[in-house]
Amino acid sequence: MRIYQITAWRGGMFALALVFAAHSTAVAQWLSLPLPGTPRTADGKPNLSAPAPRTADGKPDHSGIWRLNTSRHNPNANLLPKGTEAPMLPWAAELYKRRVATHGYDRPMTVCLPHGVPDGLTSPYGFKLVQTPNLVVHLYEEFTMHRQIHTDGRPLPVDPNPQYYGYSIGRWEGETLVVETAGFKEGSWLDNDGHPHTEALRTTERFRRINFGSMEVDVTIDDPKAYSRPWTAETMRLVLQPDTELLEHLCENNRDLERLQQIWQDRQPAAPPTTGRQ
Amino acid sequence: MKARLAILMCIAAIAASGRALAHHSFAAEFDENKPVKLTGTVTKVEWTNPHIWFFMDVKNPDGTVSNWGLEMASPNNLLRAGWKRDSMKVGDVVTVEARQARDGSHNANAQTVMLTSTGQRLFAGSPVQPAQ
Repeated sequence: MRIYQITAWRGGMFALALVFAAHSTAVAQWLSLPLPGTPRTADGKPNLSAPAPRTADGKPDHSGIWRLNTSRHNPNANLLPKGTEAPMLPWAAELYKRRVATHGYDRPMTVCLPHGVPDGLTSPYGFKLVQTPNLVVHLYEEFTMHRQIHTDGRPLPVDPNPQYYGYSIGRWEGETLVVETAGFKEGSWLDNDGHPHTEALRTTERFRRINFGSMEVDVTIDDPKAYSRPWTAETMRLVLQPDTELLEHLCENNRDLERLQQIWQDRQPAAPPTTGRQ
Repeated sequence: MKARLAILMCIAAIAASGRALAHHSFAAEFDENKPVKLTGTVTKVEWTNPHIWFFMDVKNPDGTVSNWGLEMASPNNLLRAGWKRDSMKVGDVVTVEARQARDGSHNANAQTVMLTSTGQRLFAGSPVQPAQ
């Protein structure tokens, strides 16, 4: 019996490894496009464990196409590890519970609205980060969206016009790019499971490029109208997608929307709000 | 217990790898517990974002024909997995393993697509990967 159990366990783990290997291989098979500046091993493959590149002024260069190292639909669908709860105020907890119970049928992406911050970093399509001396740009493949992070020393605006990706400024603290964002519009979900936020949200993201192939991001959520105190998400681990390019992705044929609304309207007469809590 | 956990993890991983490619919630629209296996002739292919849809005529046991709509991942996912937009054409006979829509309609999320003429399995951007 014990032998059977061990065999089954190993078999399961092997299958698990195969699934993930196949998944990442599938994504890595896009056009072979050897990019200059990519460190390579003797066989010509990108050397993902080479040191992180640097810009002319000696700062770490975060440029590249990045994607979360796991699917955001596995237990990491959530900013927090399983079994941990964000310090939600009662209305936020109620809304979050309803979103989880209805399988996130009305998440903004269903109507092709943006992921927002920090959920945009976890899209399975990944994003291209372009770093220039005074500006960092994120180009999100999903829905072809962009985000600007100003690194020219300007302060956050006092009364910014609300936007889904907010208004971001960044500064270097040693090897880490610290990005502060405010001026959010309500409506985006903080993560795939549906943690809500209000216009009072401020996020702090800390980007560290560990080596050529990996980046870590720590995100702090501060929204006193939705949470009783600031809280920090589980570290996001991004992997570089070498020798590839972004593709166009637009919501040109969204056949799912009508069916989703039909299915869930029948089960839930009052559609849950995605916005409107101040 | 461990054996059961291993099997559950395996199922979860397979499910997760498919859902990762959807712009909407898979579980909200399709029912993991409604597997369907369909063989029929492709009548239309919509090679579009955020999802590819194709349609196929499937003969029912009573001799009538139903036109099913099958959802796959996006062209981006399939291109990166080696598909071309003409990998599956109108008139091809295919066998599809899918999960049916929660509303019981003739719509489903394709998980494997096999060209009946050659036995070639095409990546559907969903749980089971092709054995190319």
